[in-house]
Amino acid sequence: MSYRVPEKFPTTVVGSYPKLPPAKEALRRRKKGEISEEEFESLVREAIKGVVQDQLEAGVDIISDGEQSREDMVVYFSEIMEGYRPGEWVKIFDNVYFRKPIIEGPVKWPGPMTLRDWRIATEYSEGRPVKGILTGPYTMLEWSFDLYYKDRYEAIMELAKVLRKEIEALVNAGAKYIQVDEPALSTRPFPEEAEMLGEALKLMLNGIEAKKIVHICFGRVEKLLPYILDYPVDQFDLEFKNSDFRLLPYLKEYGYNKELGYGVIDVHSHQVETVEEILEAIDKLMRLGILPPEKIYIDPDCGLKRLPREIARAKLKNMVEAAKIAREKW
Amino acid sequence: MRIWGMVLGGYPRSREARHLLRDVERGLVPPTEASIRLQRVHSEIMGVQKAAGLPVIVDGMVDWHDIFRPFARSWRNVSVNGLLRYFDNNFFYRIPVFVGEPDTIEPVLAPRVRDFIELAHPSALKVVVPGPVTFARLSKNSSGLSREELAVKIASILRQEVSKAVEAGAGFVQVDEPFLADIDATRDDAVLAVELFNKIIKGYEEKASMAVYFNAPSTDVYEAILNVDSKYLSVDVYDTRTRALDLLSVKGFGGHVPVLGVIDGRRIHDDDVDRIIDDVRRLVDESTEELVLTTTTWMDLIPFRYSLRKTILLSRLVEKFAEETDSEAYTIWR
Repeated sequence: MSYRVPEKFPTTVVGSYPKLPPAKEALRRRKKGEISEEEFESLVREAIKGVVQDQLEAGVDIISDGEQSREDMVVYFSEIMEGYRPGEWVKIFDNVYFRKPIIEGPVKWPGPMTLRDWRIATEYSEGRPVKGILTGPYTMLEWSFDLYYKDRYEAIMELAKVLRKEIEALVNAGAKYIQVDEPALSTRPFPEEAEMLGEALKLMLNGIEAKKIVHICFGRVEKLLPYILDYPVDQFDLEFKNSDFRLLPYLKEYGYNKELGYGVIDVHSHQVETVEEILEAIDKLMRLGILPPEKIYIDPDCGLKRLPREIARAKLKNMVEAAKIAREKW
Repeated sequence: MRIWGMVLGGYPRSREARHLLRDVERGLVPPTEASIRLQRVHSEIMGVQKAAGLPVIVDGMVDWHDIFRPFARSWRNVSVNGLLRYFDNNFFYRIPVFVGEPDTIEPVLAPRVRDFIELAHPSALKVVVPGPVTFARLSKNSSGLSREELAVKIASILRQEVSKAVEAGAGFVQVDEPFLADIDATRDDAVLAVELFNKIIKGYEEKASMAVYFNAPSTDVYEAILNVDSKYLSVDVYDTRTRALDLLSVKGFGGHVPVLGVIDGRRIHDDDVDRIIDDVRRLVDESTEELVLTTTTWMDLIPFRYSLRKTILLSRLVEKFAEETDSEAYTIWR
């Protein structure tokens, strides 16, 4: 079954979705060692099926597996990748902690890490493309402890080589969209940091036959923009809504001309954006006159995992509705 | 040269502390019992620092969820709401929300000092407060005051906090202004921070420090910071090592005793003591009469056992530096 992604304002998601009950059960039981891999996969399959159905019902064009088997965007990969070991508890806020993983040896690709879930989502997607989504090497390093590589550059490049293999596996399986998530980059918006990730992205993405996307959010992206525009990617997927579209004038200032994943849904707010509100956001970007509708992908600011499922679903539905109207208008 | 060490700020929570605070949140442990058990946790942390020969110690602040929270909770017209990333850490603080002119309901520091002063002996007990510019900048300001007016008001409350803490026996006062090392900090921010800092520590200059960390400040910001009236000035040398070393080599310390953040408080590897000694030697000379070595940042974002190890490493570093430079290592605060 094939699906034709609209040429103007295609809609998509950043990746994560609220954990559905089967996924929660799978993760909980795995943590306690109470579940076989087959049972885990079966529960995750059920969860992904639900996530895909939600996205199809909302009408999203390019979907994700909802990252149902990922407890955390860094911990998930660290638990599979060779060279990592589980860390000890580190505070993330209040009295809430996560086990910050530790790099203790050379990192190696252990075989596909995300392919199973991508395939499951593809089975249920009714031909709609499913994004292959990875946590990038910069964020993997920044949100881990490193006891092996004493040099950050070396560590990031080695992680990039591992992730390159994952991308190749996804593309060989048919993935047409590859997204690398780098939320940590915006916390250190310095040219040398941006350049380091640029080098890593070349290792990961050069020669890859797919739409190549980097997602960055919740930070001072405007400070990074001058240093990232020559990254070897087709699209930057950025958060706009939460920061009240503060970034828009900078796109014009820096002559932004790549495709743009335009975040119009606030993933930190339970208030469902109205269709009119989202349309107004699209109009704001269009009025700048910097990008044609064919280069603008409408999506939420970031992953939807922290929202209740009903809210996430309602937000996606309105987002798709607004994109449809925008296609007529622009 | 006299040389000594101190930990910059808070410690992480041990397993016991984590579980205790969780049980308090669930209402399973009454506050009085929690207070007694937390005192034991703090006393262990102070014990480690004393055993490491640090003449100035912190109580560990393990009950503080973030640097702003105890103050926000104890002031009128301030609440906390929502989470925001704390600089470049994978850690989020609750945003203080100022809805009017803030005022004190009850002091935060003085009761702690009274609780811990005997346990700290013979080391001096350091109190740490968030700097008013960082506090105002990282808060939501619905007070009707301008951001600068809010910072001034915060500073006046912090002055009261510090005075009461010193009266209660605090031996050292540190005001943290990490925002001054942020890429968005301007010279004006630094000028205001210095002016307010000088008011907060007036009368206590000989036992006070401003601490700037998470990055090396820009040159113009640092030049303004050099106008602090305190005897001590604390800078994170190792987060962005090359930039910090370049800055400090050129600009020096403006006559202040350097407090150099060289033990990495955010990472868990064993710090390379020899490299640190080489770097520090680039920053001091025969005219340096006193030198303090510290952690780059608070250690609350690494696992507990590594914070203990870093404390010992800091102690070894001080000893080794003293040996190699024929300096006098202080273990008692004078």
